[in-house]
Formats: sequence, C-alpha cells, structure tokens
Amino acid sequence: MKLFHIHKNNVVVAIAILYIILFVYTASSKLMHLGVFRLRLERMPYIAPYAQWISWGIPFLELVIAGLLLFHGYRLIGLYGSLVLMLLFTGYIIAVLQFSNSIPCSCGGVVSALGWKDHILLNISFMILALLGILWSKKQNNIQATQKSVQ
Amino acid sequence: MKSNFLKLVLPAFAILLAVGLAFATEDKTILQIAHYYDTVDQEWKSATAEEGCGEDGENPCLYDGYQLYSAPNFGSIQLHKE
Repeated sequence: MKLFHIHKNNVVVAIAILYIILFVYTASSKLMHLGVFRLRLERMPYIAPYAQWISWGIPFLELVIAGLLLFHGYRLIGLYGSLVLMLLFTGYIIAVLQFSNSIPCSCGGVVSALGWKDHILLNISFMILALLGILWSKKQNNIQATQKSVQ
Repeated sequence: MKSNFLKLVLPAFAILLAVGLAFATEDKTILQIAHYYDTVDQEWKSATAEEGCGEDGENPCLYDGYQLYSAPNFGSIQLHKE
C-alpha cells in the first residue's frame, strides 16, 4: 500500500514536470515573439481589444503556474491553476470554432503548428492529467494529515 | 538523494529543456493575414503576408505596391521584414 502511494506521488511529480515543460516552453516562445503574438491576438474574435494585456498576461500567468508547480507546498494550487487555464483555452477555442475554422492560432512554439482538433485533444489530455494530479495530491495530503493527527 | 533529485534536479532540468526547446524550435514566424488600404477602391482589403513579415525589420512588406498593416486601420502596426 505504501509503495502504491510512493508511485502516486511520483506520478503527480511527473504530471507537474510535464506542465512545467509545456508552460515554460509556450511562454518562452510567446515572449520571444511578443509582437507577433500580439498581432495574432488582435485578429482573434472577442479578445482583440484586450490583445495588449493578454499578450503579456498569458505568458506571465503560465510562468507563475510553472513556478507554483515547482514547489511541493504549492503544487496543488498550481495544478488547479493549470486546469483552469486549460479549461479557458479549450472553452475559447470551441466557442470560436462555432463561427469559423480558420482562426490563426496564437499559441506558442510548435503547438501553433497543430490543427484545431489536435489542439483540443492535447488540451483535453493535459486537463485529464491535471485532474488526476489534483485527486492524487488531495488523497496524499489527506493521508499525511491523518498520519499527523494519529502521531 | 532520490528526494533531492525529484525536488531540485528534475524540475531544473525540465525548465532548461523547455527553454532550450523554445529556442530550438524557433522558426520564421508566418503571418497569415495582413491588411492594406486600396487607394483605388478606397477600402481596406486583406492579403496573405510573406514569410518573415512582422513588426521588426528594415524592408516594408508590400502587397501590390501597398504597405501591409496588422489590422485594417492606419493606427495598427506597419509590417516589415529583415
């Protein structure tokens, strides 16, 4: 049973590492081409008026969440943040695709080369990972709390 | 030792890997849609911008002799390339 918990802990760490790679990678790509990222946002429906703010805000938020995922104490908050960010991205993509299927992707790096369906699949996969991470982190925290109260 | 690896080395490696990947996969950004003001028809039209057109560069990005813009207004960014 203990071995099972250790493995779960490792899986949560692995999920956090995957998210760190994803967020640091996409944030770096966006920041390297901030002007182009802003140009793309300006062509997106609904959010075009806020392109200036979003072009700085999203990479900043991604880096903050990656930072939270680094530390064991903040990992659960980081996983919640990742899940919310992914939900927002995916919800926005799906909403926009109701009107057009030729929207320029404003995502960073090679992710922008993905088609919209692939993009949604990637996001859903990451959301499932975040959910698993949250569930297992919570269980682990509960076990640790129980052990402390017993001692 | 294993705990240190999980807590420090692995995340640091992940960050380095991500930043390295961002630089490694950096490509010439392609702007798909640009805009120009057609002085004959006196209206804004859309066109596909060349590869490498962005806000930086010395050479203006042109379409049919017209300066390309990021949005259909003169206040938007004039596109240039190296």
